Amino acid sequence: MSTYARQTAQARNVALPSSLEEAVAALAAMPTAVPVAGGTDLMASVNAGLLRPAGLVGLGRINETRGWQYADGAALLGAGLTHARMGRPDFAALIPALAAAARAAGPPQIRNAGTLGGNIVTAAPTGDALPVLAALEASVLLAGPQGNRELPVSHLLTGMDPLRPGELLAYVRVPLLHAPQTFLKATGRTGPGRATASVALVLDPARRGVRCAVGAVAPVPLRPLEAERWVASLIDWDGQRTLAPEACTAFGEYVAGACIPDPLPGEDGTPAPELPPAAIQLRRTVAALARRALGRALA
Amino acid sequence: MTGPDAATATPAVGTPVATEKTDAATHGLGVSLPPTDALAKAQGTYPYAADLWAEGLLWAAVLRSPHPHARIVSVDTTEAAAMPGVRAVVTHDDVPGDATHGRRVADRPVFAGDTVRHHGEAIAAIAADHPDTARLAAAAIQVEYEVLEPVTDPERAFSAEPLHPDGNLIRHIPLRFGDPDAVGEVVVEGLYRVGRQDPAPIGAEAGLAVPRPDGGVELYVASTDPHTDRDLAAACFGLEPDRVKVVVTGVPGAMGDREDSGVQIPLGLLALKTGCPVKFVATREESFLSHSHRHPTLLRYRHHADAEGRLVKVEAQVLLDAGAYADTSSDALAAAVAFAAGPYVVPHVFVEGWAVRTNNPPSGHVRGEGAMQVCAAYEGQMDKLAAKLGLDPAEIRMRNVMATGDLLPTGQSVTCPAPVGELLKAVRDADLPPLPVDDDESQWLLPGGPEGAGEPGAVRRGVGYALGMVHMLGAEGTDEVSTATVRIHDGQATVICAAVETGQGFTTLARQIVQEVLGVEEVRVLPSDTDQPPAGASARGRHTWVSGGAVERAAKMVRTQLLQPLAAKFGMSVELLTIADGKITSYDGVLSTTVEEELAGKELWATAQCRPHPTDELDDTGQGDAFVGLAFCAVRAVVDVDIELGSVRVVEMAVAQDVGRVLNPRQLAVRIEAGVTQGVGMALMEDLRAPRGIVKRPTLTGYSLPTALDAPDVRIVKLVEERDVVAPFGAKAVSAVPVVVSPAAVAAAVRAATGRPVSRLPIRPQHAVAKPQQV
Ligand SMILES: Cc1cc2nc3c(=O)[nH]c(=O)nc-3n(C[C@H](O)[C@H](O)[C@H](O)COP(=O)(O)OP(=O)(O)OC[C@H]3O[C@@H](n4cnc5c(N)ncnc54)[C@H](O)[C@@H]3O)c2cc1C
Repeated sequence: MSTYARQTAQARNVALPSSLEEAVAALAAMPTAVPVAGGTDLMASVNAGLLRPAGLVGLGRINETRGWQYADGAALLGAGLTHARMGRPDFAALIPALAAAARAAGPPQIRNAGTLGGNIVTAAPTGDALPVLAALEASVLLAGPQGNRELPVSHLLTGMDPLRPGELLAYVRVPLLHAPQTFLKATGRTGPGRATASVALVLDPARRGVRCAVGAVAPVPLRPLEAERWVASLIDWDGQRTLAPEACTAFGEYVAGACIPDPLPGEDGTPAPELPPAAIQLRRTVAALARRALGRALA
Repeated sequence: MTGPDAATATPAVGTPVATEKTDAATHGLGVSLPPTDALAKAQGTYPYAADLWAEGLLWAAVLRSPHPHARIVSVDTTEAAAMPGVRAVVTHDDVPGDATHGRRVADRPVFAGDTVRHHGEAIAAIAADHPDTARLAAAAIQVEYEVLEPVTDPERAFSAEPLHPDGNLIRHIPLRFGDPDAVGEVVVEGLYRVGRQDPAPIGAEAGLAVPRPDGGVELYVASTDPHTDRDLAAACFGLEPDRVKVVVTGVPGAMGDREDSGVQIPLGLLALKTGCPVKFVATREESFLSHSHRHPTLLRYRHHADAEGRLVKVEAQVLLDAGAYADTSSDALAAAVAFAAGPYVVPHVFVEGWAVRTNNPPSGHVRGEGAMQVCAAYEGQMDKLAAKLGLDPAEIRMRNVMATGDLLPTGQSVTCPAPVGELLKAVRDADLPPLPVDDDESQWLLPGGPEGAGEPGAVRRGVGYALGMVHMLGAEGTDEVSTATVRIHDGQATVICAAVETGQGFTTLARQIVQEVLGVEEVRVLPSDTDQPPAGASARGRHTWVSGGAVERAAKMVRTQLLQPLAAKFGMSVELLTIADGKITSYDGVLSTTVEEELAGKELWATAQCRPHPTDELDDTGQGDAFVGLAFCAVRAVVDVDIELGSVRVVEMAVAQDVGRVLNPRQLAVRIEAGVTQGVGMALMEDLRAPRGIVKRPTLTGYSLPTALDAPDVRIVKLVEERDVVAPFGAKAVSAVPVVVSPAAVAAAVRAATGRPVSRLPIRPQHAVAKPQQV
């Protein structure tokens, strides 16, 4: 009476371009289609019934964006780089914080499929690559029917300058700093999980700067600029580049206070409400992460 | 159903039962026989309910309430019904039989009628020719709700307006044992909270209903209790039970009762209405919204002890949040109240237990229900007492452990083996796992994981102990019975028993039993359905006992039939003959023949029942012999805590367990590991959040389960094999008790590492952070 059988996949409008140019053309030809790279974010939305794409442009066959190249002291990272690829030692030697973020982004199955481009375009608060790119002040190269353009990653993430219809994320330009970088992520568990808070910290000896971004505590990565400047001014850039533990602790508190600020007093003069316990815990977590991140970068 | 075979199962006296197996043995009891379906499951070819298919099938979708509490003003299905491809719509008005159902009390409507009582409650179901059409049509049903204030705080349920015609109090047990005025020299108090663990079966609910030409219907579902499910469904369909057949398909995980009635009743209604097969596969979200969870529980305790740490009196209030419907809450409450003081000797015990109705997600049977929540609390109290008296936590427990012959606070005497002290000693004396060597930090898996932010300098190690107990089989007068048939033919045997293989290993055990008794290696266990006699639910360790017992009796009856003629011929008793490896031999070696030869082409059949001794309901002071048997376990947890981030890693769980007898060593170890891991999930991460009654993030991303990295090393340091004389083979159920004890052990270890009170499960990072000077 009843047997077991597989469901047959339904044919849809699917394009599988093998170059960026073809992909842009495919998207122009099918304006309602959605690009898909690893599908680890997209398919979750499809399965949840949040998205019903009329067509798909698969980016998996575009070889030119699956690796990286060098351009004027920067690396040009293909949007199709997987987390697994970025986690490998050769990449880690180049951009250590991004490699650390890639190794922390989900379980191995997800890292094998999920891409840098997908992580940026999804722009989830917990996207692990995002604070690293913010700290690195990376920029994104977009390819579209009207040609290519480049903009700071933060403009894309904040929605200040969003992707335009028909545009694809092609590359990410990341400066090569040749100095220690760290990415630390708190998840509250030992197995893979989304960040409750993360901190990316990079040293830029050429510009005598420390740049730090905090992920997962706000819709976009936050840059505690004052804390960065303060701590950079304490570091002896020509010497050992070490700091007293107290300074690292103070930096942690500074970063945490900037990212999870105290509530403001009411406009009518009522005293500021207390920080709720969850926010206190988050602040404590960010402070510990930022202190550890700085300590490790200077070690 | 009483008869000669329905008497109390007694141990096999005078029958040849091999006990210890040599290394060479490959079948029979005591060997690690592998399950027959293991390879198919590992390769992904094993068919589960979601893989079912029938020619011309329709797809079902269910419309669910977005509100936890609302009055339904109107339901308009006209637009949905008119959509192309839609074949049927059913609502509350289309249920031909009973409008409500339930495992203990029929208080749950098939579809919400005038009131919605929890987020995700079913309102209507659709059958259509495509799953997407069915979902879109379900969304096109127009429901007008008058949203009501949800009651989500169980403490408010007492005074709130009744959420249901049956009222908000599902059960109250005031247990009184001893002298209420007794006082101890030291007193500790505590308030504990346990969150909402989801059974999170890895395969979501699914099924296929196929109408029958006689006006009945067949339900192909992953049921764990097919006969009860059939009866519930038939009553709602308005059909005689024999017109409904439940066929059990591959069960993709069961941690209690799979909530299949919510799937099979709408499915059956749609199949009966359309005359077509109808299939349903729940989304992960629907699965979280519709099935039953572990009862969130609030516990207030006061322990009195003398100056040496001997317990004098335990006073407790236990409040179970049952959610919108009664389900098995009264059973959970009985266990919570009876085990409220734990496996300790306490002369005076006073417990007030309540199970109340709220608009939270429904609670029901998840293994160790009731017993797990109180274990977290009484073990927290033992740690508090130890701290107050300056005693070692293991020592204070040792001074109070119960043994065979002691009384439970229900007045029931513990007659089964209760080697609690021996279990505790075994975990206490086991070597501690070594601390990671300082110079190789890369090899140290820190709390937070391999790519986490953990820092060795902030990590503190803690060791904690917990003891606990659980009852086996249904309690309080439940008629626990199972029936099995064994057939032998051509030198092979077949077992027919409706006990469902949920992955717990029942079919493997049934094969081993028959191998042992009949000496044949080839044993097949047929799939379960309701044409077979009932075997009851796959829960509470029942099948090892009642179905295993029934299989053994049937096999022995076949054995007698086989050997009787031989014995008569040679003038010796059946007991003097042995069967092994298909050969029959006499004690003196004179007689030697084979099973096949002796059968001479005949088939031998026997059917037997196993029904343990009856139990009583707890009376109005919580007294009575309510339990058939008890199982005990001791766990020592070793945790590492990053005290700045509050992240916890369970390094090792050392387990000593009272198992009666080891029937399959590998299977037993796997059951313990699984139970411990589920307990670690409860301790650290599993909690389905439902603020204001709305379930938040009902997905496997939002609801964390332990992965391989979160799972600790489970070290079984001792299995105490003291046979339980009333249990078949002397074996005790093993799966539930590690779930009961593990969360409490982890909490104790985190307490030791951080100095924090740790009175909530799961333990959130904010409750595991500590100032360095506190440590
Ligand atoms: C179980 C699980 C765990 C996860 N854990 C983590 C985690 O720990 N940390 C983390 O950061 N993320 C995590 N993720 C999210 C996800 O894996 C990452 O965001 C991943 O980088 C997404 O990449 P993708 O290639 O799969 O994107 P896709 O799903 O293919 O695409 C995502 C979106 O980006 C668009 N898109 C993709 N590529 C381009 C392009 N080149 N140009 C324009 N648009 C594009 C798509 O149209 C879509 O809207 C997890 C996901 C899952 C399922």
